[in-house]
Amino acid sequence: MIFALTLLIAAASGFISLSYEILWYRVISFASWGLPGAFGLLLAAYLFGIAVGSRIAGHMCREGAKAGDARQLQRIAWFALVANVLGWLVVPVFGMSAKRWDWPPALIAVAVAAAMLGAILPLVSHFGIPADERAGSRLSYVYLANIVGSAAGSLVTGFVVLDAWSIQRAGAFLALLGLGLVALLLALSDLGRARRGIALASVAGTAGVIMLGTPAAYDRIYERLLFKKKLQDDTKFAEIIETKSGVITVTQDGTVYGGGAYDGRFNTSIRYDRNGILRAYGIGAMHPAPKRMLMIGLASGSWAKVLSHMPGLEQFDIVEINPGYLKLIGGHDEVKSVLTDPKVRIHIDDGRRWLHRHPTEKFDVVVMNTTWHWRAHSTNLLSQEFMHLVREHLSPGGLFFFNTTSSDDVQRTAAETFPHAMRVYNFMAASDAPFSFDKERWRKLLADYSLDGTPAIDRSTPEGQAFYDDLVSYADSIHEPPVGHGLESRDSVLARTKGARIVTDDNMVPEWTALLRFQDAP
Amino acid sequence: MATRGWIYSAFLTSGFAALLYQVVWQRALFAIYGINVESVTMVVTAFMLGLGLGSLAGGAVSRAPSRPVLLLFSMVELGIGVFGMVSLAVFHAVGNATLGMSAGGTFVITFLLVLLPTLLMGSTLPLLVAHLVRSSKNVGRTVGTLYFVNTLGSAFASAAAVLGILAHAGQSGSVRVAAGLNFLVAGMSYLAHRRSLREGETRVSGEQLRAGATEGAASDAAPASASSSGEAA
Repeated sequence: MIFALTLLIAAASGFISLSYEILWYRVISFASWGLPGAFGLLLAAYLFGIAVGSRIAGHMCREGAKAGDARQLQRIAWFALVANVLGWLVVPVFGMSAKRWDWPPALIAVAVAAAMLGAILPLVSHFGIPADERAGSRLSYVYLANIVGSAAGSLVTGFVVLDAWSIQRAGAFLALLGLGLVALLLALSDLGRARRGIALASVAGTAGVIMLGTPAAYDRIYERLLFKKKLQDDTKFAEIIETKSGVITVTQDGTVYGGGAYDGRFNTSIRYDRNGILRAYGIGAMHPAPKRMLMIGLASGSWAKVLSHMPGLEQFDIVEINPGYLKLIGGHDEVKSVLTDPKVRIHIDDGRRWLHRHPTEKFDVVVMNTTWHWRAHSTNLLSQEFMHLVREHLSPGGLFFFNTTSSDDVQRTAAETFPHAMRVYNFMAASDAPFSFDKERWRKLLADYSLDGTPAIDRSTPEGQAFYDDLVSYADSIHEPPVGHGLESRDSVLARTKGARIVTDDNMVPEWTALLRFQDAP
Repeated sequence: MATRGWIYSAFLTSGFAALLYQVVWQRALFAIYGINVESVTMVVTAFMLGLGLGSLAGGAVSRAPSRPVLLLFSMVELGIGVFGMVSLAVFHAVGNATLGMSAGGTFVITFLLVLLPTLLMGSTLPLLVAHLVRSSKNVGRTVGTLYFVNTLGSAFASAAAVLGILAHAGQSGSVRVAAGLNFLVAGMSYLAHRRSLREGETRVSGEQLRAGATEGAASDAAPASASSSGEAA
C-alpha cells in the first residue's frame, strides 16, 4: 500500500511537472519568436530548479526516519501545494516580464517552480523506500513511475489538453490536478481530524482562488507576450487559434503570427502590396510554364491564393505542418477558396518528411515562404541537404524559390548548391537549368494575371498603367548594382557573401549565429 | 568520503553528457522524422521509455550487494560513449531506410534507435543509489543528492549547448564532446574501482593479521564487502 502510494505520487508529480514544462515551452516559444536559445535556456532553468529542489529536499530527509511514516506525507503535500501555485503563476509572470524586460527574467520563476516540483521525488523516495539492500531496486520503480507519469503528461497535455483548450484553461486544469494530489496526500497523512479539515479547506480555498483568478492572471496573455511594451488597454488579437501544433494569432490589421513570429499578412493584391506578394507573382517570370507546383508552408493562404491562379497551373500541392492554418484560412473570404480549389491538394505534414516520403513526385516549381532563418529547426528547410532533397523533386528545368529572410549564409548555400541562382528581394531562386527573370514574360504575366476573374492590375487608369510600367521595369534591376529589394545575379551573391558559411544539417548555422534576439513589438 | 565525492562528480559529468546527447539526437531524429507534434512526442516518449526500462535494469542489477558498482558504472559510461560516437551515422542510416513507415512503425524504430543508450543512462541512478544507501542509510538524502548532481550536470549542458557547443561543434562535434566525457568518466570509474579493490585487499590483509593475532577472532566481513563495492575509501 505504502509503495503503491509512493509510485502514484511519483507518477503524478512527473505528469504535472512535464505538463507545466510543455505550457512554459509554448509561452517562451511565443514570447521569443521560437528562438532556439530561449528553449535551451528554459530547459537549463527548469533542470537547474529541479536539481536545487532535489538537493534541498534531500537535506530535509531526516536520518532514521521510517519508511511509510505518514508524517512525511504532510511535507510532500506542502511542497506539492507551493509547486502547483508557483507552476500556475509562471505563465502570468512571463506576461508581466514581457512588458518591461521581455522573457529572460521569467526564467527565474521557471527555476523556482521547478525547484518545488523537483523536491517531490527525493521526498517521496524517502517516504516509500526503506534504507536497505533493496533501496536501489525500489528506487528504480519509483523512478520508472516518475518517467511514465512524465511521458503521460507529454501525451495528454501536449496532444489532448492543448489541442482542446486554451492555455488559460490548461493552466487552471494543471493547477487543480496538482491540488487534487495535495488533497489526497493530506487526507492520507497523520494529521488529526480537525487539522486535516483545516488543511483540506485551505487547499479547497486555494483551488477556488485559482479558478476565480485564472481569467485575470492569464488575461490577454498572448497579446502581452507579443506586444510587450506597446501593449495598450485595448490591445486585442482579432483571432487566436490554439492547437496541439501551436498558436496562431491575427492582429486587428490582419497580420498573422505563427507561434509568436511574423507569418505574413492577408493580402493577394500586387497593387496594394503589404506582404511582398510581388515575389509570388515573380515565379511566372522565371519559369516559362509551371504546371505542377509544391508549396511548403501555407500560413495566411495569400501566397497559395495567388499561385493557384498562375496561368497554366494544373496541380498545386501544399504541405502545412499546423492544421490550425486551415481553420484560419476558412474564415477569410479573400483566401478561403484555396481550400476548395480542385487544383489544390493540402497535406498536413512536415515538409521535409513529406518530400522524403514521396520520392517520385516531381514539380516545376517548389516554393517556400520560409519563416525566419534563426528560428528553431529552420535548418531543416534551409540546409544544403534539404536543397539536395528538393533538387530530386524538380522536373527538368524546375525552379526552387524560397525565402532566405536575408540570411547571407542561406543565400550562399543556395548559390553554391545550384549552378544557376538569383536573388529576388530576400528570396533565392535556384535551378539546375539556366533561367532568368524574363522581362517579356513578366510583362505578359502582369497583364494577364487575374484572381477570380479580376485583373491583378487594372490598367484602365493612368495610375494603374504607371504602376504596371514601373513593375515591369523591376526585371531590369538585375543589371543594376544590387539593392535589398531588387534582383541579384548568382555571381554577385557569391561575391557579396564571401565570408558566409554553407548551412548543413550538422552545423545548423542560421539558428546559432546569435544566442538572443529580441524582436520589436508590432 | 573521497569516493562519495568522486561519484557525485562523475555523475554530474555523466548528466552533462546525457543531456548533450539528448539535444543532438532529438535534433537529428526530428530532421529525419519531422518536427510535427506527433513526431516530437514519439521521439520524446521513446527517450523516456528507454530511461524507464534502464531504471528497472539498474534496479535489478543493484540487488546484489557484491556487484562492483564502480566497475559497472564504468562499463555503462563506456557503452554510452561508444554508441555516442557512431550514433549519428546509425540514426541517419536507419532513419533514411525507414522513412516510409507508419506512425507506429516509426515509433518502434525510434525507440529501438535510442533504446541502448537510454537503457544504459537510466540504469545509473538506481545503481548508484543502491551503492550509496548502504553507507548513508538515508534514501531521501541519497536520491536527492544524486538527482541533484546529475540534473545539475544536465542543466549546465543545456546552457552550454546553446551558449557555444552547438554553434562551434555542430551536431557531430557535440556528440564527440559528450562521448569524450563518457570515456573520461568510464576511465576514472575504472581506476577508482581498481583502487577500491587494492584498498580492500590491504584492509582485508590487516584484518586477517589482527584476526590471526587474536587467534581466530571472527573478523568483520563488512570492510571486504564494502571495499568490493567501492566504499572502502
